[in-house]
Amino acid sequence: MSVKGPPASSQVPGPSPTSPVAPSRGRCQGKVEERPGSWFGFGFCGFGQALGSDRGHQVHSPQPLCSPDRGGDICSVSASWSYTAFLSCAGRVQLSGSAGGAADGCRDLWASETLFVVLRDGRGPGARAELQAWAPSSALRGEPLWVQTVEAETEREGRAGGETPAAPLPLLPCARAYVSPWLPLAQPLAPELRACRLELGTEHALLLDEAGQVYSWGGGRHGQLGHGTLEAELEPRLLEALQGLPMAEVAAGGWHSVCVSETGDIYIWGWNESGQLALPSRSLAEDRKTVSGEDGSEVKGTARTEDGAPTSFIALQPFPALLDLPLGAGAVKASCGSRHTAVVTSAEKLLTQQVESQPPRGCSSGQ
Amino acid sequence: MAEDSGQAGTGALREALRALLPRRKEDLRLDFGDRVERSAVTLLQRAASLFYGGARAECLRTSEAVLDYAWERLNSGPWRDVDKDWRRLYAFGCLLKAVCLCEDPGGAAGVAAALKVCDMGLLMGAAVLDDVLTKVAAVLQTHLLSGKRPARGPSQEPPSAKKARNGPAAVPEMRSEEAVPRLHRPSLQCFRERCLVPQRPVVLEGVAGHWPCMSKWSVEYLQEIAGCRTVPVEVGSRYTDEEWSQRLMTVNEFISKYILNEPRDVGYLAQHQLFDQVPELREDIGIPDYCCLGDGDEEQITINAWFGPAGTVSPLHQDPQQNFLVQVLGRKYIRLYSPQESEALYPHDTHLLHNTSQVDVESPDLEKFPRFAEAPFLSCVLAPGEILFIPVKYWHYVRALDLSFSVSFWWS
Repeated sequence: MSVKGPPASSQVPGPSPTSPVAPSRGRCQGKVEERPGSWFGFGFCGFGQALGSDRGHQVHSPQPLCSPDRGGDICSVSASWSYTAFLSCAGRVQLSGSAGGAADGCRDLWASETLFVVLRDGRGPGARAELQAWAPSSALRGEPLWVQTVEAETEREGRAGGETPAAPLPLLPCARAYVSPWLPLAQPLAPELRACRLELGTEHALLLDEAGQVYSWGGGRHGQLGHGTLEAELEPRLLEALQGLPMAEVAAGGWHSVCVSETGDIYIWGWNESGQLALPSRSLAEDRKTVSGEDGSEVKGTARTEDGAPTSFIALQPFPALLDLPLGAGAVKASCGSRHTAVVTSAEKLLTQQVESQPPRGCSSGQ
Repeated sequence: MAEDSGQAGTGALREALRALLPRRKEDLRLDFGDRVERSAVTLLQRAASLFYGGARAECLRTSEAVLDYAWERLNSGPWRDVDKDWRRLYAFGCLLKAVCLCEDPGGAAGVAAALKVCDMGLLMGAAVLDDVLTKVAAVLQTHLLSGKRPARGPSQEPPSAKKARNGPAAVPEMRSEEAVPRLHRPSLQCFRERCLVPQRPVVLEGVAGHWPCMSKWSVEYLQEIAGCRTVPVEVGSRYTDEEWSQRLMTVNEFISKYILNEPRDVGYLAQHQLFDQVPELREDIGIPDYCCLGDGDEEQITINAWFGPAGTVSPLHQDPQQNFLVQVLGRKYIRLYSPQESEALYPHDTHLLHNTSQVDVESPDLEKFPRFAEAPFLSCVLAPGEILFIPVKYWHYVRALDLSFSVSFWWS
């Protein structure tokens, strides 16, 4: 039984609205030019995650992020529900929130409620980098749950060690496997996929290959795979609807998927129960129209278009839909929370599609 | 007029709710297995501390955060695989949120909101503290209804019958040799030998005719007893349609939108365990004695309510248990095909719908499904007071001829 539920309140750190992230022309051969900017955060921080100066339970507008011990610029952030992990440019990882701890010599990180994964430099000269999976409650002390040495990818594209690796987590740098929160922790990928980016939703996976093609697999009950059905796929399956349209970015939410094309178009599909697809959502419309009846009961009005006809709502979108952004802006990057979507446009604006919850959350835009 | 307005009413409500909760936080017993993430348990513990510490507003916020996260876990993967501990956590979150909503002097609106939260906890959660949510819901419902009960007159003719566009639905033509056989109050042994063992459908007469529901139930009665409770409703002609969806609404909203007032769309309160949610209705029904011929206990019998306007359709499908379908209000046209005919019924090949036929029984596409025309079947019109025995995996198609309320008993 599919049941509508309360609005989302998961957090997302926002990329800097003050300096743009340059689209990577070489696509996933690496982030080409990334001028360091500031990180901002907003959302739910009921676990005391360092989301800025406001330490209340919710941060309504983006606040500047500082790393927990003020140790250097934040280079990259990975947020789970109850904790946030920060990676400084100097390679120091710090956890904040329900999980704590710190570690040096790190290059990449990936946070989930059940598992924290970090890519660390090898110890000693010439040693290989190591992928470690930790229980978040371990505070990065003792032994990790799982370790795997990785091939030296640093020679790839002439990149020196210490910068972000070519294939970000949860993809392993060799791109022939990825880390997932479920056993077995390392899931193999067919080498012919030539993966350069992988995103995990609650029940599905999205993969972007070097040619800009998108693959999806896993559970499909909410249309999040984008193949037009609700059936699961056991193996990576090409998004035929997007074939021939090279994509630059992919992002996966809890039950929805987003990708950004090289030309700045956004395609979105999956579950829309909280309006995360920016398509008409029944629960959003009903929340806006709820009024109090005379006896205190709530009466839900039906949303209607201007001519009085009832609007049609979209509960799920099983194949990619092209999204129009306001003001004709082009998208540069997309990111998803469990039930919301955030997009950075080339006009340096951060747009978020989210649900009116109580208290109301601001939709932010950069200057 | 309403004695529940003002401080006195809220005070009495608060006392009644407090009496249902343990005195101390420790007695809540917030223990959960490994499948539930520690962070969620920590947050729930914090919500409980806030509650017992008197910090209502903060407890409310924290409970909502717990519910947000737990709801996502409840929506991950197939429902049958959802760990029961997550459902218990969700129920605890609903409990704290509901009581906090009532403690604010928000009047009836707060209580109605709290009742909705209880219903969500009953729908998606698992029983905690000896089914406390059912008891809380009963207290809230009493509080909402006090001073407002309408005078109980004789039950009126269902209004939709007066407003029916085409008059009463025509009973489909049925040749007598296709009729489901009927038995009048068979003994247990007789039923077992003639129906259960050979797995043959039968209409049982004279068995449920004197259940209280047969004389008590009407649209008005249901509005009175369960009107403010939240239930799942299926909207759309049939569940195989693309336009079909499920929605939550109160019983009053369902009746107002899909039963009375010449509804625009078809809405069906279908396959819902209403009698667990509203124990007062459970008093009005019995359990067919023949269920004791099965292997399971009485607690394992699943009782579902099926309430909707004329015209609701359940497409031809099969269920994994034996079924007694008891008709209370209105009539239903039902067609039955043996499991041996399954191939001629062209079940969907998707996992989701593998127990459902692709064929529209009353207007079959015989070019696409040629073998369907030759498949033998039985049919009946089930009237109030009658029970249809549907053997396990027997294919059945159901269309309501009138405003209808049926109660099904799934047993093994």
